[in-house]
Amino acid sequence: MMKNKIRRMINNMPLNKVRFWIQLSMFVLFAYGGYVLIDFGSSIPIFACPYNSETGATCYFMPLQHQLAMPANVLFGAAAISVLVGLLTFVAWFVVLNKAWCGYACPFGTLQDWITALRKKLGIRYGTYSQAQFEKLSKIKYIFLAIVIVIPLLMGVGVLGREWSGAFCQICPARVISPMFSGDFSQWKIDFSTVTSMILTTIGVLFAAVFFVGSFIKKRFFCFFCPMSALHYTMSDLSLLKLRKDGDKCTKCGDCYKVCDMQIKDIADDVISTNILRDDCMFCMKCVAACPEDDALHVDILNMRVFSSSKEGFAKRMGMDRLEKNDDR
Amino acid sequence: MTDNIKHTIETPKQKQNRHKAMEAVKVLNMIKEEFKEPPKAMNYFYDLFERVYCKQEPLHADKVKVGTMCIQIPSEIIYALDGVPLRLCNGFYTDDEIGSDLMPSKSCPLVKATVGHLASGNFSDKPDIIFSPTTCDQKTKAGAIVENFGYEVMDVDFPRTKESEESREYWRRSVRKFSHDLSHSLGKKLTKKNLQASIQKIGYAQTLYHKLNDLRKNRFVPILGKDMLMVTNAFFFDRIDNWITAVEELLEEIEQRAKNQLHAGGKISPRIVYTGSPPIFPNYKIPLIIEQSDAIIVADETCSSNRMFNDRVSVDEWFLNDMVDSIADKYLKGCTCPIFTKNNDRIRRIIDLVKSYHADGVIYQAFAGCQVYEMEQRSVLAAMEKEGIAILYIESDYSPSQQGQLTTRVEAFIESLKNRRRMKR
Ligand code: SF4
Ligand code: SF4
Ligand code: SF4
Repeated sequence: MMKNKIRRMINNMPLNKVRFWIQLSMFVLFAYGGYVLIDFGSSIPIFACPYNSETGATCYFMPLQHQLAMPANVLFGAAAISVLVGLLTFVAWFVVLNKAWCGYACPFGTLQDWITALRKKLGIRYGTYSQAQFEKLSKIKYIFLAIVIVIPLLMGVGVLGREWSGAFCQICPARVISPMFSGDFSQWKIDFSTVTSMILTTIGVLFAAVFFVGSFIKKRFFCFFCPMSALHYTMSDLSLLKLRKDGDKCTKCGDCYKVCDMQIKDIADDVISTNILRDDCMFCMKCVAACPEDDALHVDILNMRVFSSSKEGFAKRMGMDRLEKNDDR
Repeated sequence: MTDNIKHTIETPKQKQNRHKAMEAVKVLNMIKEEFKEPPKAMNYFYDLFERVYCKQEPLHADKVKVGTMCIQIPSEIIYALDGVPLRLCNGFYTDDEIGSDLMPSKSCPLVKATVGHLASGNFSDKPDIIFSPTTCDQKTKAGAIVENFGYEVMDVDFPRTKESEESREYWRRSVRKFSHDLSHSLGKKLTKKNLQASIQKIGYAQTLYHKLNDLRKNRFVPILGKDMLMVTNAFFFDRIDNWITAVEELLEEIEQRAKNQLHAGGKISPRIVYTGSPPIFPNYKIPLIIEQSDAIIVADETCSSNRMFNDRVSVDEWFLNDMVDSIADKYLKGCTCPIFTKNNDRIRRIIDLVKSYHADGVIYQAFAGCQVYEMEQRSVLAAMEKEGIAILYIESDYSPSQQGQLTTRVEAFIESLKNRRRMKR
């Protein structure tokens, strides 16, 4: 009885509000944790960028690029243990939240949602990609992931020089933008020390500028291109948190697709897969909240259901559970 | 009623009204009297049908009436623009006969009746403008026939595949155009405010329907299918606010009945999922035969009932264009109409209904002449067989003549389901 009550309460929750507050807390934690000496280490699976001096953790890509750039004998010798520990810590963090790191914890993701909120306030409608554009663009993140991994390796074997150090960080818009959280605008500049740095940091600054414009128009603009999201996807099967679908209960109405910021079509159209987490997904759970069929979509911790789509929850969230009496028609 | 007009010469319209009233009364009496204890709140609906179909009482004299030829014309938009949607799909044999002269002999009775009714021009609430979505061939062509009777008919392009991105875009464009056209002809602007209110109002009506429906999953079914059909059928033409109030009352009563474990059927009445061509008042022939033969319809998959209420509009950002697109998606993506090329969704839906409403079997009716339902019969039967679900396929039309033969077949099917139930015990 009690269990059912709690379950019903969770299924009926106003997800957007709940999510807003979680995101806000996480943002404070990761963007300003440094002020109170919070440090979650350097294997965090989100863009908690250390270029922001007050960050509460360090994005895993920083140490990863550094480690991969070590000469092979060091990488597989003296440093092997620390590299492995770094990776395992990363996986351990990831396993807990799966891609919900993106939807709930990444300061960079949250920032985009706030830009979206601003657009909404101004009464401007969002943009979408056509299906063809979507398919092309969604591959870019793997190219970025390759940059994160391959360039340091090439440095390690001596093909590329020191100026390529942290190549992805140099083009990463979070490097430029995150320090602004603590009032530091110094990353908005181009590094003229070498031609490579000049090109890379120019891309970085441009990317940061495009970030603001892009995410004003398109919800979660950057996440389509995020190499962290790509890395997540490679290990998402390991995670304890699952986004699942019961295709038999799905009417393919498309309500979930309609609210998905990432335009993931499979969420509505695939009635075969039970694991419905796709590479672009940020595990925001908006789809679960917008699905009007009981238990068609659900979030599980291993095999325990923690949040399910329900008719009742849907009606509550869409304001269809009662008539607005102030309706003057 | 016949007494007052005996001495005057009856005009064709009067004759039509008299015949239709006779059809209506017959069915209403059956619905009211031949079943044990209908819910009290159903009286609203019984009266409503009597007022409209026996006494030709207009309900919307003060409003612009927007006729719709199929389920796909979004009522959310019509209500937002202060019009009243009237679903023109018709169930009268009288009108079917009028339509027979205007359509090929092997056409669908529903389309014939709709065309016949429009040809007669005899309405208590006559549509001021008609929107005709290009769904099945017969409906599509009927639009043009109807136009010849002097109605203003607007075609609304509807795609016949629903999987592709192209069809989604195509339909979204159609719906945008529809709202534009309607707004133009009603001289009212679609706004964020009036559309949101209307989406939420219809959404609330759907919530009520779903709550009622959920109770039919119970072991003790508190309401019969024939009553549910009237409730949903009333949504075709009733004043929406009255409908909502009436259903709220009904829901309260049915919830109470469910608490008291009141069962509308018999001890081993088989539970039926009804699918196929839509039963529209007064053509409740098959549903009534089913429930008179000691079975209960616990759920249905038809465009006059479940399909009209099941799928809902979800909106992420309540902007006008987003709402219009959401509405469009709802009317296309979730639709299980047999006019689509492939229709696995309909099959999956029927199976899901059987499972979640614990049904013993499926009865599939196709109107003789309704090609798409007739064509889809094989695939549905094969799928049911694969799932081990008993199914009966029957063809029927609007004529009162085949009653006996239909009854025999339905009874035999229900008897076999009962035997299964007995064996399971
Ligand atoms: S610059 Fe980007 S990739 Fe590098 S540490 Fe910061 S967030 Fe991570
Ligand atoms: S909202 Fe639910 S029922 Fe609709 S398509 Fe998505 S999963 Fe299926
Ligand atoms: S699929 Fe669902 S959880 Fe993933 S991004 Fe889309 S709405 Fe969010």
